[in-house]
Amino acid sequence: MPGSSGKSGGRGPSSSPLPHAVVPPRRPLRPSRYVPVSAATFFLVGSTTLFFCFTCPWLSESFSVAVPIYNGVIFLFVLANFCMATFMDPGIFPRAEEDEDKEDDFRAPLYKTVEIRGIQVRMKWCSTCRFYRPPRCSHCSVCDNCVEEFDHHCPWVNNCIGRRNYRYFFLFLLSLTAHIMAVFGFGLLFILYHRQNIDHLHAIVTLVVMCVAGLFFIPVAGLTGFHVVLVARGRTTNEQVTGKFRGGVNPFTNGCWRNVSHILCSSQAPRYLGRKKCVQNVKVQPPFLRLQLTEAQLATKILDNGIQGDLHRSKSSLEMMESQSCDAEPPPPPKPELRYPGLSQRNMEECSLLGKAPPTPTMYKYRPSYSPGKNHTTLTHAYANQLSRGESVGSARESSSSSSSLLQASQQPGFRSQPSLDRRETSSDRVVGGLGGEKRDAGREAGGGGIPGYSLGGRSYPSFSDTTVLSGGASRSSSSTHTSAGTANVSEATTTSTSFKSLANQTPPPHHPSRNGSLSYDSLLAGGEDLDKGGVTGPVAPGPPSGRPCTPATHFLSQQREADIPSQSLHHHHRSSHHHHHPFLHRSSSSTSSSPPPPPERDCLLGEPHTAPHLPAANQTSASALPSSAPPPPHHSHHHHHHHSHHHHHHHSASSRPPRFAAPHVPPHHAYPYRTRSTDTPLGSSSSSTVRSPLSPHPPPLGKSLSYSSAAAAEMQYRLVRKASASAGANAAGVGGGESGVMGGGGAIQAAKFPR
Amino acid sequence: MSDPLFPDGTCTQQHAVKNRYQTEIFNMAETHSLQDMRQQAAVAAKVFVQRDYTSGTMCQFQTKFPSELETKIDKQQFEETIRTLNNLYAEAEKLGSQSFIEGCLACLTAYTVFLCMETHYEKVLKKIAKYIQEQNDKIYAPRGLLLTDPIERGLRVIEITIYEDRSFTR
Repeated sequence: MPGSSGKSGGRGPSSSPLPHAVVPPRRPLRPSRYVPVSAATFFLVGSTTLFFCFTCPWLSESFSVAVPIYNGVIFLFVLANFCMATFMDPGIFPRAEEDEDKEDDFRAPLYKTVEIRGIQVRMKWCSTCRFYRPPRCSHCSVCDNCVEEFDHHCPWVNNCIGRRNYRYFFLFLLSLTAHIMAVFGFGLLFILYHRQNIDHLHAIVTLVVMCVAGLFFIPVAGLTGFHVVLVARGRTTNEQVTGKFRGGVNPFTNGCWRNVSHILCSSQAPRYLGRKKCVQNVKVQPPFLRLQLTEAQLATKILDNGIQGDLHRSKSSLEMMESQSCDAEPPPPPKPELRYPGLSQRNMEECSLLGKAPPTPTMYKYRPSYSPGKNHTTLTHAYANQLSRGESVGSARESSSSSSSLLQASQQPGFRSQPSLDRRETSSDRVVGGLGGEKRDAGREAGGGGIPGYSLGGRSYPSFSDTTVLSGGASRSSSSTHTSAGTANVSEATTTSTSFKSLANQTPPPHHPSRNGSLSYDSLLAGGEDLDKGGVTGPVAPGPPSGRPCTPATHFLSQQREADIPSQSLHHHHRSSHHHHHPFLHRSSSSTSSSPPPPPERDCLLGEPHTAPHLPAANQTSASALPSSAPPPPHHSHHHHHHHSHHHHHHHSASSRPPRFAAPHVPPHHAYPYRTRSTDTPLGSSSSSTVRSPLSPHPPPLGKSLSYSSAAAAEMQYRLVRKASASAGANAAGVGGGESGVMGGGGAIQAAKFPR
Repeated sequence: MSDPLFPDGTCTQQHAVKNRYQTEIFNMAETHSLQDMRQQAAVAAKVFVQRDYTSGTMCQFQTKFPSELETKIDKQQFEETIRTLNNLYAEAEKLGSQSFIEGCLACLTAYTVFLCMETHYEKVLKKIAKYIQEQNDKIYAPRGLLLTDPIERGLRVIEITIYEDRSFTR
């Protein structure tokens, strides 16, 4: 990798060393990671310093000394929040110790379902961190950590934004918007009073500062508005862009007021890493007190929310239903039964008992009301298939290995091939998949074949790693195969997609680390791993979509489809965006008939200018600033708002803006949702190529994007850019993206480090 | 009787250990005489009490009684411990006046107040650590169990270590 030196250390301020014995190898130093944050710091501090030096003296004389004081206070606030957002631990979970996953061996499912306020939420097994990710937790591939309440990875602060530092990030955005407005306003005042001697140095400097401020104002204000909406709705960026709650119910919201107060007023969450290990001076020595047990006590086992996970752990049959993420992961831990012989008997008994339990219709989260009937039958059918297959799998690994080899053969080339090949592969995959629940091998091979979906995701719920295989096939076949095939699709999808943690825990491929560097916004690009994130597992995804053209889809489903469409077309061309394909697998499967409707829908979707739609005046400025379409630069700078406005506008049907964007522009815009924030044309190509090289032959035009997006997304973007011949647009997008965070550079370098 | 041969808990079957114990006791006599003061029972198993997410991402743990502890501790006792912990965590995350004032003060001082002051959450975490220590001393250690502070696991699980009962008076 050209961009990364071989030096160890220097992981960046966001990742602290782990306190436990399990210390992962230090990742190589990547100077490209520090470019956006350095640029942001430079612009922020530089512009503000020029403002204070050239504009403020006259202002304090002519108006009042309160002007520079006010500006100084706001700037200080900006710097403080910038530093906190940059240096504070976002809520990184320490790696789980070995003994914690002793139960989670080959029979353990990849997903564990939990019910949150009546809504089923899936927790995915994180093979790097060795635990089931708590709800709202996501693994950031850039930082290689699971982060609590993961919002996104911000390249402008070179840190993940999570539970602990979201407040500072949000306040940073607010204060930066205020700061930019103040600088621009006072600069304008200065210029208006100095129209006669505009060639004076002070006036020129003020003009330059005003230009910088004006340029950065649009993306920053847009992003601020977006986050205001997110806070009000109680969503994270990750959830918003992956469309988890679109049309559904957000189980994490407590109402607007409580959401805001939770963000701003709750006590600072504790750090998990780097804590002083409390030594317990407790002597545990036999003889121990014994408990006299009654028969009733021995016989009773209370089933509640918690035991679902345990049930699922032991129930190999049910786990087949889980979609898989075929990541190539480190090998699973050794058989834990040997470690704790006393418990092994009991566990095995439980396993055998629980394995026969009937399937629970609780595998699909965020789907409190999906259309019953067809879907339901598909579901139960899938479950039945799974069960029957599961039992055989649980007992006979040998047979699975044979089918796995089949799967492997079919999946690996399919995984690498172009979409056309994927389609071909898919059918064979389906057949193989249906044979026999060789999930783990399938997952392993598919994962080995390409980017492990899990590792790339800054998201919690990628379902398929071999999405190229499945998405291409699914989208095409699903349209042709409705109900009857729906079942087949379901079963095969689930079979191929189900995975065990053992798969997830296997060694990553050699080029795995290179791919890691890309992802936090891969999900964003995907424009919604809606179904994926929405917890729609394999069985569900093909089911509803097949019904969609026939039935008035549920609001949720239709919205998913709409979101799917733009990115879907893009991703068909992608072979390397594996994890991106995860959502597309679902998406394409879910939006079977999406191909005919996409163009008009796309236009509608993208015709809306993007200011966070629910916002007041601030939106208007950016909205008006966006002529519906024409200049790509401003357009691109807003694409992330675009993207979110898509989601918003789904709910709010129309804005009055005409769908002006031509089709060719559509993909790039959709593809850019968060690219502008991090892309800078001239700078990033080296970094991008480093990450991307193993995956695609074409260097993406916007290297910086790879800092938080998958390499696949970059490749897709590249193709789109070429198609739309929007190289200028891409540059503009890069500039626009750069602007949003550049002004926020602040005193990152000089400010004191705060305890994280 | 505790097993000094396998202090790290990697013991195999009990009878095998007993045999080995008798043959090797003389070899180990010297080495473990110094360890007498510190010797602990071998770890037999670990139980993990998972988080209860029914009310969202609030830090709550399941009060379901793990089956492995059925012979070790009273169910009521265990549930009482977990419930107290849940209440303490709820108190830590409460949006009360103290956390609000703390937030305002931090804002006004450009967050430098964090260098000198302990946050409300950290204070409650200290309380929780003390409570766990006290529970261990009073209730769990005499029964061959040990609670581990969940903060060490990122507030994901409460780890309960079950120690081997090497007493021969079975």
